[in-house]
Formats: sequence, C-alpha cells, structure tokens
Amino acid sequence: MTRALAFLLRRAVAGFFTIVVMITLTFAIFWATPTQPARFVYTSAGPALSSYQIQHGNHLLGVDRPKVEQWAHYVTHLLRGDFGNGWDGARVVGNTKLVEFPIAPFVEPALRETLSLLLGGAVLVLLLSIPLGAFAGTRIGSLGDRTVSLVALIGICTHPMVIGILVRSLFAGRVHWLPPSGYCPLIRSPAGGCGGPVDWATHLAMPWLTFALLFLALYIRMVRTSVAETMHSDYVRTARAKGATELRVIGRHVLPNAALRVLTMIGMEIGTAIGVSIYIESAFGLGGLASLAVRAMAGNGAALDLPLILAIVFLISAVVVVGNLVVDSFYVFFDPRTAIGADRAPTAKAAAGGVI
Amino acid sequence: MAAVRNSGSHRSPSRLTWARLCRDRWSLGALCVVVAILLASFAGGPIASRILGHNGYDQFPYAASISQKPIGPWTRVPALLTGLGNTASGDLTPPPAGTKTTLFVFGADGPLGRDELIRVLDGGKTSLEIAIGGALIALLIGLPLGSLAGYFGGAVDAVVARITEWIMAFPLMLFLVFASVQLDHRLGPIGFGWWLPDGVFAEALLIGAFTSFYPTRLVRAQLLQLRNAEFVESAEMVGASHWWILRRHLLPHLVPTVLVWGAIAIATNILLEVGLSFIGAGVQVSTATWGSLLSTTWGTLLSPQNYNSQSFTPWQTIFPSFAILLAVVSLNQLSEGLRRALDPWAAR
Repeated sequence: MTRALAFLLRRAVAGFFTIVVMITLTFAIFWATPTQPARFVYTSAGPALSSYQIQHGNHLLGVDRPKVEQWAHYVTHLLRGDFGNGWDGARVVGNTKLVEFPIAPFVEPALRETLSLLLGGAVLVLLLSIPLGAFAGTRIGSLGDRTVSLVALIGICTHPMVIGILVRSLFAGRVHWLPPSGYCPLIRSPAGGCGGPVDWATHLAMPWLTFALLFLALYIRMVRTSVAETMHSDYVRTARAKGATELRVIGRHVLPNAALRVLTMIGMEIGTAIGVSIYIESAFGLGGLASLAVRAMAGNGAALDLPLILAIVFLISAVVVVGNLVVDSFYVFFDPRTAIGADRAPTAKAAAGGVI
Repeated sequence: MAAVRNSGSHRSPSRLTWARLCRDRWSLGALCVVVAILLASFAGGPIASRILGHNGYDQFPYAASISQKPIGPWTRVPALLTGLGNTASGDLTPPPAGTKTTLFVFGADGPLGRDELIRVLDGGKTSLEIAIGGALIALLIGLPLGSLAGYFGGAVDAVVARITEWIMAFPLMLFLVFASVQLDHRLGPIGFGWWLPDGVFAEALLIGAFTSFYPTRLVRAQLLQLRNAEFVESAEMVGASHWWILRRHLLPHLVPTVLVWGAIAIATNILLEVGLSFIGAGVQVSTATWGSLLSTTWGTLLSPQNYNSQSFTPWQTIFPSFAILLAVVSLNQLSEGLRRALDPWAAR
C-alpha cells in the first residue's frame, strides 16, 4: 500500500514539473515571437506604435520588468489559484492605471465544456468498443470480425470535422432530433435559460458521437487483440473446465484483462483527445478550452494575449496530468504489479499533444 | 521455420525477410497498394494530364454551373479556358457546336472548375512529400538522440528522456495553430521552390520536429537492450571506438525497428497533414493536398462550412477520403507485415 502511494506520489511530482515546464516553454515562445503587447493598451493606434506608446504600454501591462521576475510572479499567483488578468479589452484610466478583466470567469466555463465533452465521449467509446471488441475478438477471422474492423476504420480515415458536419446535418438538419449546436450547463442557472441534465445531454449527444466514431477503431482493435490472446490462456481453460458459461468466462475472466490495456490507452490519448476536440468544438459551435485557445492564438492580429494563453496551456496540461494520474491510480488498483516493479514507463504520448 | 528449412543454403537476412513477407498475402497486397499509390502520386498527375489534355491548374468556366456548383464525375466539358460571355439569364453562353470537349473523370473541384482527378493525384504527391519528409526529419532528430541516450546511458539518457517527455507533453495542436498564424509567413518561403512547392518543407519540419520523440524512444529502448550484448563487449575488447561500435555493430540492428515505425509514421503524418489543412495552415491554397481538397468543401477551423444539400458535391469528399483511407490502411498493414516478417520468432 505504501509502495502504491509512493508510486502515485512520484507520478504526481513528475506531473507537476511537466506543468511548470509547459508554462516556462509558453513564456519562452511568447518572448521569441515578434509581438507587441502594447497594442492591447493602444488599440486604436495606427499601424506603427511610437516608442513612447510601446514603453508606456509595456509598463502598464508589467511586461517591462525582467522576464524571470514576470515568470516567478505568474507561477506564484497560479499556485494560489489566481489566473490574473487578461490583456484583451484593457482600458487606460487617467494615463497611469489599467483596468483589466480577470481571466477566471472566461476559462472556467470553457473548462467545464471541455471536460463534459471528453468524459461523455470517453464513456461512449468504452460502451461501444468493449462489446464490439469482445464480439470480434471471440471470432477472429470471421465475417463479423472483419465487418466490425472495417466499419471502425472509416472513422479514423475521415476527418473529425467532416464526421461532425455530416452527423449534424443528419440528426439536426434532416430529422430534427437534436439541437444543432451550442452548449447547456449541467446545472441550470437560477437566471433561467437552458440547462439541466436533459438539455446538457441532448446538446452534447452529437459531439460525443463524433468523438466516439473517431476513437472507436483504435479501442476496438485493442480490445479485440487482447480478448483474442486471453481466450487461449490457462485460466480461461480452467474456468471453462469448471463449467462457467461463455458469458461469465468473457465477462469475469477475459474482459478485466483487456481493461488494463484500455486504461493505458486512455492515458495516452487524453492529449490527442483535447487536440481533436478543437475540430469537434468548431463543428458544433461549442466554446471549450480548445476553441478559446484557437481564438487567443489566431485572433488579434500581431498581438498575443499572454495571460489568457498561459491560463489555457496550464489548464490543458493540468487536465492531461490529472487524467494520467487517475489512470495510474486505477492501474495500481487493477494491477498491483506496477507499483511494486519500476514505474510504469511513461508510455503516455502524454499531455496535450497529438493531432489526428 | 524458413531459417531452419534452409539452413543448408546461405541466404541473407534481407532475402529471408522478403521471402517471409511474400508468404503473407495481406501484407504483400498492402505493399502492392503502397507502390501503386506512390506511382500514381508521383507520375500519375503528368500522365493523366497528357491523356486528358489539361492539367490540374487549368480552370474551365464550363465545369461549374451558374450557382457555382461544379460538374459531377465522368462529364465532358467544352475545352475552353475562358467563357464566351453571358446570356440574359446570367448563364454562360453555350459554346458553338463542334467545340472540342475534354473529359472530367472525377468531376470538377469547385467554382473554379479544375479537374478533381488530377488534383487528387497531385495532392497525393504533396501529401506524401510532407508525410515522408516529416518521417525523415523525425528520424534525423530521433536517431542520434536515441542512440546517444541508449548507448551512453546515465546522465545523457536522463537529459534526453526529459527533453522527449517535454516534447511529448507540448500542446502540439495549439502550437500548430500559433505557428500557422505567426510563423507561416517566415517558414513558408523556406521551400526548395524548384523541387518542392512552397510550404511543404515548413510543414514537414513542424511535423517532423514534434513527432521525433517517437523514434527517439524506440531507438533508445532498442540500444538499451543491445548495449550489454556479447558482440558489443567483444568489439570493445578488441579496442573498437564508440563511433565504430555504434555504426558497424548497433546501427544495423535498428533497421527493422525503423522500417516498422516508418510505415506507421508516414500514415500518421498523412492524417496530420489533413488536420493541418483544416486549421488553415500549411501549403499555398493553389497547391493541392489530400487535406486541402477536403477542407475546400468543408471549410477550416475558423470558418467551418455548413452542409447544404443543394450545393453538396459528394465526389469532392469521397475521392480524397478514399485516397487517404487506402494509403493509411495499406501502410498500417504493411508495417504490421514488416514487423512479422522481420522478426521470425514473433507470434503470428
């Protein structure tokens, strides 16, 4: 038990450092880019800012201080749970003071949307891939097996954006079963508007489906291989010899083994999933972290809103790190060998990375 | 089994591998498909242009209707590069009888009226250039880094392991959005214009740099295993230098790993390129890639297009998607077959 805890603690510390490095990298890349923060202060100035405007703007935004100091300032505030203020929309008052908007109210709802999309999508992937994978894995080489594998392949070869728009035109455009776009919070706000579990689920059903279609091939294949391998193991033969029904053999003896691989896979794919959610959010008009990031990075001409970008990078890395930590703790629970042996190799194509 | 049966004759490992690959029907089929795709992409465009009499950049006004809807597959179009003026209803004046026509096998690619078939073939060329280039660049970074880490171990290994972990953890997607907006105008022109279209090299570089952690890890793991093998020890004993051991004794062992990874990497890079096109990054719009052919119909991230049954042109989605599907599936199968053929003891 203490070994398991030590293992999890080590992973947590490593995750923390990953987040710090991500923030540092973001700082470095920001300062390596030719961007003019002062533009946020002098929004209506002409194409070129005067040297006074640049100096004054930078001073008001606090970017004229040493870079290390800014970094330390940001990280200490972040540790206290403070995302700071965004630069976009800042207003100068009396030439000496800057009124800025805090970032937290922007990113918190976005985080909720992203998590809703990812969690619901993951559940749907599991619900579909485990039965289908078990079905295919118990009859390798049959017509049913080949059909399942082939249909699943189509999902990865068509772009999520295309799948998304097609799904939307079918369910919302043709048959009008589901609302076409937008997001409704899980908990209805007292001010009214849409909300509650039913609205939440109906608005997210199509994004979840798109998400699932994309990842299905990978997981079906994984479950299929794992099931096919386990079907010939000694303990399955023993279970059969004791007279267990086929359903019980698969449910109790074969699938738990496949669950481990699926878990590893989920850990590896969290980053990819966030990357992909950019397209899904775009197709369904959701405002999650990914689309917020796209707007922050592509948006304002030559100027980049550093605090907003930092907050997004932090949250995305945090989702990945925490997600992997959860996967690791499940791992310890399911397969105690990992904690006793060396660290599970960080198989993770970890954090907010891969693209489809 | 082959090795045992042929133990009398001396056959080189590559011959044996080839023999094993040939016995695997599915993988041999995949290899044929991959070769066919390579030929079609790199030679198909010019050949089709010669046969059909027009190339992928020619714009035929008669290949799109008044509502700018392009014509469908297998249609003959008047071979006129300029319209003959408009009728009162706004439609193009029909050409006089006897005007030569030209065949559009896959239909036209949009309001501009270019040939979809030739654009799919040319797009394959650009897509494969990006995919193969990206894999080569990743290998160029990964092979030295992974060799150093795996061979020397210790502090070098620790440093390399950290760097690869950070590259893995980097929000690549966001960086690509950023790069497409902020860096494209600088990276784009670094083309070898006379050989590769503008932007191809930049895209391959971005993809290669950020996927290089994969070969790094593979090479490192392989060398960690081989580091203490007897043949390395004996080479050390006779006074071989590190460089000599790496190059002559260890590098050949990496060939199978690199081949298996390479096929998968090219497949993934093709999909990555499609993703980049949907971000709106990458090569010039006029240069066709499989991704840009799809994103002309479906729009990009910042401006997704809505489905409209009136103007929807299924062939513009089906043909590029099918090309991608064929390439990705056959490369995956080829990699799987190579893995089995290269390792005689692998479970079948």
